[in-house]
Amino acid sequence: MADRRDFYEVLGVSRDASPDEIQRAYRKLARTYHPDVNKDPGAEARFQEIAEAYDVLSDPDTRRRYDAFGHDFRQVPEDVDPETWARARAGASASGRGRGRAGAGAGPRVWSTGGFGDQGVDVEDLFGDLFGGMGGFGAGRRRGWGSIQGADQEVELELSVEEAYHGGRRWLSISGPSGPRSIEVDIPPGVVDGQRIRLGGQGGQGTGGAQAGDLYLVVRIAPHPRYRVEGRDLHVDLPLAPWEAALGTSVVVDTPGGEAKVRVPPGTSSGRRLRLRGRGLPHPRGRAGDLFADVRIVVPPKLTDRERELFEELARTSTFDPRRRQ
Amino acid sequence: MTQALTRPRRYDLESFARATGLHPELVRRFVALGLLDATRDAAGGLWFSPAQLAAAARIRRLRAGLSLNYAALGVVVDLLDRVAELEAALRTAHTTARRTGGTPWIRND
Repeated sequence: MADRRDFYEVLGVSRDASPDEIQRAYRKLARTYHPDVNKDPGAEARFQEIAEAYDVLSDPDTRRRYDAFGHDFRQVPEDVDPETWARARAGASASGRGRGRAGAGAGPRVWSTGGFGDQGVDVEDLFGDLFGGMGGFGAGRRRGWGSIQGADQEVELELSVEEAYHGGRRWLSISGPSGPRSIEVDIPPGVVDGQRIRLGGQGGQGTGGAQAGDLYLVVRIAPHPRYRVEGRDLHVDLPLAPWEAALGTSVVVDTPGGEAKVRVPPGTSSGRRLRLRGRGLPHPRGRAGDLFADVRIVVPPKLTDRERELFEELARTSTFDPRRRQ
Repeated sequence: MTQALTRPRRYDLESFARATGLHPELVRRFVALGLLDATRDAAGGLWFSPAQLAAAARIRRLRAGLSLNYAALGVVVDLLDRVAELEAALRTAHTTARRTGGTPWIRND
């Protein structure tokens, strides 16, 4: 992990932050990114990063060593002077890592005189650090969680009405602790808004060899310029000219499954709802939804002379009063 | 997935403790604190549904990650469940609002 973020940056504190500030920052972030509080798959990686940063910075000793040696501090023997270490690394950048790892005996043994390690070598500390801070908090303690199943996660999956109708295969990019991963999802035809698709074992990682949690895709049907979705039923507006509504007609309506013919009976007014049975979203184990065409009568915004003439004649002849009280 | 096929429909205290990696006494304490749901048989033995495995894992993660004590965990777990419920209701309400608000069907262009 060469591109790891600085621990102070992870916690959002300055390098001279007090232990109090560090703890406050950690508590706040942990509440936000804890995998059981935040269902976003990206939160898991953030939480691990935060816990590790706190693990190191909350202990004055590991913090001092982190300040001196950076992310590699666990590989640096306890009694090494930071400056010597920096020089050694610069001189042998290719093999430096391996040498540091060999342990206290192999490293350049220089007693420090600066502010960071006046107490000399403490055997317990030395082993604690060499073996990854087993007695520590956070990251070390997380290993001590034992085997715990991972948390369930949730991701919103936005589908168009057409995708919900036909189903199909989608590739999703899910962020995780080891970077984003791509998963293939088979969307069954006829999913509805709010439906949860369960992907077993694709959620948060378990610790200590326990199984991962599940990933839930929560289906969200995107607003559509023509269809309104209500469960499995679809609604479309059906604009009609006044004469079509009065005389009756047959019109072709687009549905997600292709064109459908709607018979408009004579004497149809605005607000009438024409049902096309089974032309809504399909149901894998039941009756498909219906498609409703909502009639709206639309008049020409500008009349031609002839149209005006005919409407005026109709107005003179007709006795129909839509506002008559019954 | 042989594991899924052999997974029992419910667990007794011993097998539940084994499956979760918790000490049976701690499991008993979780039940007493109302953190886990269990049914009692005539002999007084505790029985757990498979869903309680995930509940136990969540309790352990919350405790380890947020340093909560077991009494506080009960509140946190209840609140998290309520938030999830309300969020689901909110989503449904949003969809309904979108539906009834509708899009203007005549464009003035």
